[in-house]
Amino acid sequence: MKADRSLDKNEKSLQEILFHSSDFKSSDFVAGDRHFRLFYLDTMIELAVVQEHIIRPLLGNADVSVREAVSILEYGETGLITVASTALVTGKTVVQIEGEAKFYLLGTELDKERAVNIPLNERVLRGSNQALIENLDTNLNLMRKQIASPDLVVKYYQVGRRSNTKVAVLYLRSLANEDVLKEFDRRIDSIDIDYVEAPGFIQEMIEDKKFSMFPKMLVTERPDRVRSYLMDGKIAIITDGSPDCLIVPVSFWAFFQTPDDYHIGWLFGSFIRFLRILCFIITISLPGAYVALVTFDPRILPFEFALTLQSSMQYIAMPPVLEAVTMLVILEILREATVRLPSSISNTVGVVGAIVIGATVVESNLISNMMVVIVALTAISSFLIPSYEMSSAARLLSFPFIVMSSIFGLIGLELSYLLVLTHLARINTMGIPYFYAGISGDTIKDTLFRGPIRSLKKRPKESLAKDEMRISARRERTE
Amino acid sequence: MIHLEKISINQLICLVILTQVGVSVLTIPYAQIRYSGNDSWLSILIGGVIAQAVILIIYQLGKRYSDRPLPQYISAIVGKPLGSVMNFLFAAYFAENIFMVTISYSDVISRWVLFETPWFVLIGVSFTIGAYIASSTLRSMATITQMIMLLFLICFVIIIISGMGKGDLRHFFPIGTHGIGPLIKGAVPSFWLYSGYELLLYAFPFVKSRKKKDIVMAMSAANGFTTFFYMLITVIATYNFSESQLKSIPEPLVFILRKFRWPVVQSLDILFLTIWLSVVTVTVYVYLFLSARYLAFIGGKEIRYHPFLVWILAVVCFGFGLGGYDRQWQSRFSDYHNIATAIIIAIVPTILLLISLARGKAVGG
Repeated sequence: MKADRSLDKNEKSLQEILFHSSDFKSSDFVAGDRHFRLFYLDTMIELAVVQEHIIRPLLGNADVSVREAVSILEYGETGLITVASTALVTGKTVVQIEGEAKFYLLGTELDKERAVNIPLNERVLRGSNQALIENLDTNLNLMRKQIASPDLVVKYYQVGRRSNTKVAVLYLRSLANEDVLKEFDRRIDSIDIDYVEAPGFIQEMIEDKKFSMFPKMLVTERPDRVRSYLMDGKIAIITDGSPDCLIVPVSFWAFFQTPDDYHIGWLFGSFIRFLRILCFIITISLPGAYVALVTFDPRILPFEFALTLQSSMQYIAMPPVLEAVTMLVILEILREATVRLPSSISNTVGVVGAIVIGATVVESNLISNMMVVIVALTAISSFLIPSYEMSSAARLLSFPFIVMSSIFGLIGLELSYLLVLTHLARINTMGIPYFYAGISGDTIKDTLFRGPIRSLKKRPKESLAKDEMRISARRERTE
Repeated sequence: MIHLEKISINQLICLVILTQVGVSVLTIPYAQIRYSGNDSWLSILIGGVIAQAVILIIYQLGKRYSDRPLPQYISAIVGKPLGSVMNFLFAAYFAENIFMVTISYSDVISRWVLFETPWFVLIGVSFTIGAYIASSTLRSMATITQMIMLLFLICFVIIIISGMGKGDLRHFFPIGTHGIGPLIKGAVPSFWLYSGYELLLYAFPFVKSRKKKDIVMAMSAANGFTTFFYMLITVIATYNFSESQLKSIPEPLVFILRKFRWPVVQSLDILFLTIWLSVVTVTVYVYLFLSARYLAFIGGKEIRYHPFLVWILAVVCFGFGLGGYDRQWQSRFSDYHNIATAIIIAIVPTILLLISLARGKAVGG
């Protein structure tokens, strides 16, 4: 719809487009022989900016054009009312002069945002203490500061038919693989949904295999972590309104890395990396292994140990499978309760959980104390995994493991391992294999262990970076 | 999707080793003892050398058609109709092999570990897992195999530790009393043990290597390792039991594991048999995969539903396997199986190579 020369007519049309929204305001002032009218949503604009940088200069310079008068960087002109209305809802102030069929769009949006804070969900001992926040521009600013190079490309997408959520995709031009980028582009363009809840919606909409327990995108709130992945040639996705950044394509092993590994020496770094992977295995299989041992093959255990087990299980009525499942469900209930409750009460839940369920359940012979030990160990091991998604996946996996072990004993446990392994080996992310055997050749340096930085010469395989070498070989190649 | 369909040299080694070793490890050296007595380890060695010779033949054949797997170029050598027949024979042989391996190991499991689990459940589970893995790509299978290699190494350590217990070195002496003839005779049953390298007939074009020579090196390394492993087991068995004892023990390894006591683990045999299951599974899924691939080329055009073929084969094998718990029948069947093995994996590639050489330069190779 074209703009009219009359101010009143335009105001009327704008009001109709915005359905007579109450926060739509207009304001008139006359400078010299020109009659200005400002249209704005008073909930969206920064008043001081409008007063200082639009009204005052326009009043003071009666004879120059609007562009010359106002001191606003974000400046646009349009002859269409629809464009003006869209500008209004994004926080722009629209100015019109009586007699001109044209709008001036001036950026005056009010940014209500919290300050850049310390990361809450990804704690580290060493390293940066910045976390991403909800504002996209601030996040991009943080990232640009981390990587001060023209190589860093930011590409905007609009996702969501109704919400028009702004999604920024970051990558390094010289590293990110073209095929992966193309594939990613295709997938994000094919999203057709009315609004997106970041990052969960985007993650699920562009994932490959829909039925999988394992997370295939890394979620992080740490700019330094995003940088380290960008430097591997991966792609980062930041959505407006969410402090979480998605990273694709990642492999299974990325979920066991933390920035800490690279700050403390490589020996200890390797140790904790290995510990985490061990804990993943413990989480998925310890309850299952226990069930298999006590129900099927107590012969494997040393005699004295078997006796201890026997005495602990003497008065328990439930079979070990039920015991294990019950305790794991209770554990999940406690965990969920502590997440949802306000922090002042969540301590109480901890105490109630520990004392009532830990001690009393054993005393009343409902659950054997060995089982309580096993489940507690499982829980703690699962919390060692740095990625929340991965640790949830591990705890969830422990249930089928228990069931298989209770049917086939140790063989069931092993078959479950094989199934999980096969599932992992069959998953793709962005057309790239998700799982590499962490034991072969170069990959072992940053999967099961964290090798010395000097030896990490190559970028990880799964990012398929254009330039594979990280250290020293680059110079030879460009010459 | 992105140039990752190939497998690395490292993965090839793992695949070949784990396809070679399987159920037979438990029975070594029962079959050889009959001929070569305490010199069985020499028979095993000779078997490995013969296998190495076949590997060289397969390599020469693969090199001539290095851009295609055997089922595709077989018609180029022997002509269309015969090619289809050959593909079918290969597929049938592999299917029979899966069947053989699965029922023998299920038999072992049901005798040593899961006494009460019904037979159909045991083989059903084995075929399901095998088919699930085999229905993925060669690359995924290679990744899985690499991880199973870790389990294999655990078994390796278990065998070494438990084998070094009380024994008698005098069991080995005198060396060579049985003469050359029995040694060679003993080498024949050893030769079956090494089957698994025929994987190269299919996998050759899918190996990522700088030089073609790397492939033959990798194959030799894998075969060398398997030979070493088999010899180690024979040596351990001979060290622990005398010749006359071995003659009456069909599964010496299990007995050796059973009598060894660790402070942490009481019966190593159960642990070993459990872990060994995944090593056996490698043989099952590799053959299932190969069988389906050969079957895919049986007609003029490639059949594109690989997972479908795999599941069909698994179901057919399962059907036959339901009647396979009769041990007498199993041992009779394994005699036929051995002859089939010799023909398919040694004689056929040799003939193919000869024909191909006689025809001169490979077409489009």
